Amino acid sequence: MSSLSSTGPDATRGGSGRTPRALTRRELFSLGRTEEEGHWIRIHRAAMACRFEVLLDGADEAHVPAAREALDEADRLEAALSVFRETSELSRVNRTAAEMPAPVDADLFALLALCRDLHARTAGAFDITSTPLSRCWGFLRREGRLPTREAIEAARACVGMSAVLFDDDSRTVRFRRSGMELNLGSIGKGYALDRMAALMRARGAAHALISAGGSSAVALGGRGAGWTVDLRSRQVARGRLARLRLRDGALATSGAGEQFFEVDGRRYGHVIDPRTGWPASGVLSVSVVTAEGALSDALSTAFLVGGLDVARRYCASYPQTLALLTPEGGRTGPVVLGAFAGAQVEEA
Amino acid sequence: MNLTPEQESLGRRNFLKALAGTPALAALGVAAATRGPMRGGRVKVAWLGVGGQGRALLTRMDPAYVDVRALCDINPTSLAKADEVLAKNKQPPATHYADWKDMLAKEDIEGVVMAPPLWAHADIACGLMEAGKHVLCEKMMAWDVPSCERMLETAHKTGKVLEIGYQRFYNPIYQAAYEGIVKAGQLGEMYHARLVWHRNGNWRRKGEPPSKDYDPSPWGYPDFEHLLNWRLYWRYSKGLLAELASHQVNIANWFFGAVPEAVQGTGGVYRFKDGREVQDHVYATFEYPQGRTATFSAIESNAFENYYEMYMGTKGTLIMRAETDALFYPEGDAAHATAVEVAAKTSGGAALDASESKPASQTSTGPAPASGGGESAERGIASRNEVSRWAAAIRTGAPLLCGPEKAIHSARACIVANEALQKNERLKV
Repeated sequence: MSSLSSTGPDATRGGSGRTPRALTRRELFSLGRTEEEGHWIRIHRAAMACRFEVLLDGADEAHVPAAREALDEADRLEAALSVFRETSELSRVNRTAAEMPAPVDADLFALLALCRDLHARTAGAFDITSTPLSRCWGFLRREGRLPTREAIEAARACVGMSAVLFDDDSRTVRFRRSGMELNLGSIGKGYALDRMAALMRARGAAHALISAGGSSAVALGGRGAGWTVDLRSRQVARGRLARLRLRDGALATSGAGEQFFEVDGRRYGHVIDPRTGWPASGVLSVSVVTAEGALSDALSTAFLVGGLDVARRYCASYPQTLALLTPEGGRTGPVVLGAFAGAQVEEA
Repeated sequence: MNLTPEQESLGRRNFLKALAGTPALAALGVAAATRGPMRGGRVKVAWLGVGGQGRALLTRMDPAYVDVRALCDINPTSLAKADEVLAKNKQPPATHYADWKDMLAKEDIEGVVMAPPLWAHADIACGLMEAGKHVLCEKMMAWDVPSCERMLETAHKTGKVLEIGYQRFYNPIYQAAYEGIVKAGQLGEMYHARLVWHRNGNWRRKGEPPSKDYDPSPWGYPDFEHLLNWRLYWRYSKGLLAELASHQVNIANWFFGAVPEAVQGTGGVYRFKDGREVQDHVYATFEYPQGRTATFSAIESNAFENYYEMYMGTKGTLIMRAETDALFYPEGDAAHATAVEVAAKTSGGAALDASESKPASQTSTGPAPASGGGESAERGIASRNEVSRWAAAIRTGAPLLCGPEKAIHSARACIVANEALQKNERLKV
């Protein structure tokens, strides 16, 4: 009864002759819930063709304005990074870099350099130049179709991170061949989440779960064992694959269960292996946890493409990487590789 | 209502609606106002008027706070149904009474939760308080303004706890919306609120009398039909304004921090000309100080909009929908782009369901709800909190969240609105 023992400024007195005490905000909010229960505040907006959301505990409602500012940041980054915006900085680079070295601002240059490094670290499984392949398979317009071998080979000729020349001193990038283009689709959301998390942290928010499209999430803080996140894949199971408790870490999930097409009973997913020119296969779902949203995003795609081999080698070489892979057929639960200090895995 | 954002949020609405019906959420009710045994023990109570609303409260009450000793109703069928509610909630049977005065003479009770027809509120509530009992009285407070004033005076005079059953005050979503949006100034200056309660159906209830020779005339009802459908007759009821508008006006008073100064209205029996007296369509405009206006409509011919309260401020719009969710749309360039939702956590549920990327049209990234149904969990929680907080107020002097001082304002506004509607005039409240 201690939480209810008197009269607040907004409350009407019950009974009479008792000394009133101001009801605290926490007490008011404790109405109808226990410590564990209560309310979520979800602040969300469509950006980068998906839903960006900042999830706050009801107790953190003071950070709603910061969450809105963070969503503005997602809009700003979309305007700068999207290849679907002709006016974006990246579109400008794509238009000009085959002709001459294209100057790039410091933030974008750092992100592109990370993409270059990840290409090397994942044996080419992560490649931001694979857009011509996605286009040839029809996935850019979400109208998948089986291309001719000639079309695939023609697209492959325009793909390859090794054909992108970086000049760190002048901060420029140049394409070795015309027809090449950069696309941050497999890293941009995670990158935006990192920036949003930094902004919210700078505004004093200690706890928030920031997510995009349900596939990428950055956990700022996390009370107790952390944010509870269920990993799901409709292609694998009706229930959850695993439950994660996440603190100060970034999660990304990739799969080809939502965007695909079928020809003659064979399924072609939307993630193309840049090394072969064909849709990746062998892994149904990948989730990766690292310290950074951009890194997790990129690795989840890389591991979907590169499979258990690439994932094993990466996790062995780079600490603070946790990966859960569900291979096609075989065992039911995901294969768990590596570890991340802020993440606990509970099996389904 | 501007339907565009509404339609855009259809998916979200469906999500929250479904969420509200999940068994996991219903468990939230256990976490009522307080936890554990209450100091001083449970309050010994009677339930008086165990028709639909009385039984709803009985179903939702938390036995950790109240010990139901007696049931009182002039309709034996209602008493039998209330017995079933107690049995279903594993509560011991309670003694039956038809006459509340008889009950007072025989039962050792401290308080009464009462939900009889509106016209009976004041006499019973005042009689109970005069006899030393605390009272939780279902809204609206009373049938006319002098009766409301009598109840308030009696509460002050006797020092008994009197709460009026406006469950929105005990709904965590309303508390969260008030604290997080309204009080936090996120709506800016508010000039308009729209209160909507639309249904498509006959308000008339069907039921058989408890026996062939059942005679309710000693209680003021010429026949069973008038008892069953008391809401449709002026002698007992104040119609849609009392039964529906008073809930929403009570919250408008809270969110505006003011009470109406004048009201005008129109309406009539337009669809169901079946001998009822109260209107089936009601439209009222409540004028608040500083140029603020709340409009209310209750229609019984179209349920598309269901029921909600929409607060329109210079900085944003807050929609409280069907007592189950709160939506917020800031004004400006991204007016409808950013949504702020307050939603109850599901017990044992995840904060996020992560899977491969979904396009923006799949609106929610929240945990997939079980397909639900049944009554809204928030409403259940609200009623449970209401009864528990009333019991806590009796034991410890804990604050009531509405109280007769607030409830009398919404009652007065709705009573005057009925007069304005009948006279087709603008009346001062």
